[in-house]
Amino acid sequence: MLIEVVVFSAIVALSVVAFTAVAQKSIYLSRQALRGAQAAFLLEEGAEVARLVRDEDWENIAGLDAETDYYPLFADNAWTLSVSPSVVGIFTRKVNTESVNRDPSNDDIAETGTPDPGTRLITVTVSWPEGETILSKTLSFYIMDIFI
Amino acid sequence: MTSIKTIRHKKNTSGYAMLELLFYISLFVFLSVVVVNSMITMTRALKETAIERDLAEGREIMEKISRAIRQAESINALSGSSLELNTKDESGADQTLKFSLLSSDIQFLANDILVGNLNSADIEITSLNFSQVVAQKSEAVRVALTVHSSEDASPRSADFYDTVVLRGGY
Repeated sequence: MLIEVVVFSAIVALSVVAFTAVAQKSIYLSRQALRGAQAAFLLEEGAEVARLVRDEDWENIAGLDAETDYYPLFADNAWTLSVSPSVVGIFTRKVNTESVNRDPSNDDIAETGTPDPGTRLITVTVSWPEGETILSKTLSFYIMDIFI
Repeated sequence: MTSIKTIRHKKNTSGYAMLELLFYISLFVFLSVVVVNSMITMTRALKETAIERDLAEGREIMEKISRAIRQAESINALSGSSLELNTKDESGADQTLKFSLLSSDIQFLANDILVGNLNSADIEITSLNFSQVVAQKSEAVRVALTVHSSEDASPRSADFYDTVVLRGGY
């Protein structure tokens, strides 16, 4: 009799622990989905800020240092790229730029070649804490001086 | 002597049964605590998941607003929680699209005719703010949206931000 009770109890306890683990995982996943959606819009906004800054004056993009992190700052109904770190709620958003080279033979973007002063590679990164870890989303795109 | 042994033996059997009973009771109490605790956790998890799902509805609202702004040609009117855009419909005819916060709902109007609310009854829009951003060669609208689940008794909310350049404005 005793052994049956012990086996039954073990099955019940394990099932309950498994259900609880699934329930806690569901909270984590749904929270992560919400944060992911918020981060996706912040990424999109970062890309639009780069576009707006380019539309104001290409020199705003061409003058950015490749080694520096820039943080989009909204003040007085205008967007600027500031070197002072800023956060949006729990999210940190930064913008980095890289110069772009073109292959002289076909004018395609290449690892090495002739530097193109009218094109920059923009990388927007949004990161946020999730428990003990830091999660992040990244968006990279080329931006060009189309108003020459 | 035999009768004394029998009595002793009977006493021993009785003691073992008591120990067994204590064990079963302890096990029952322990399992009850674990099961009740687990039920509480699962109920909380279900509610939390429902609230997070409601808050994630802000993504669809923001997606609709940003798509309309992206396709717009110019801003007709903008004032805090209300935005009216000049755009074109599928046939290429001029039309206006308007997003306006009324109480805790976002109303969507096409050519000043109410199409419906962008949000379901499960969520309340606690804040909606539009700002116009003007650059030399383009203009954009910044949207700040805050949603709150109707099921949530706590003041927890989710913020969504986006800025979209009017592609028709180039």
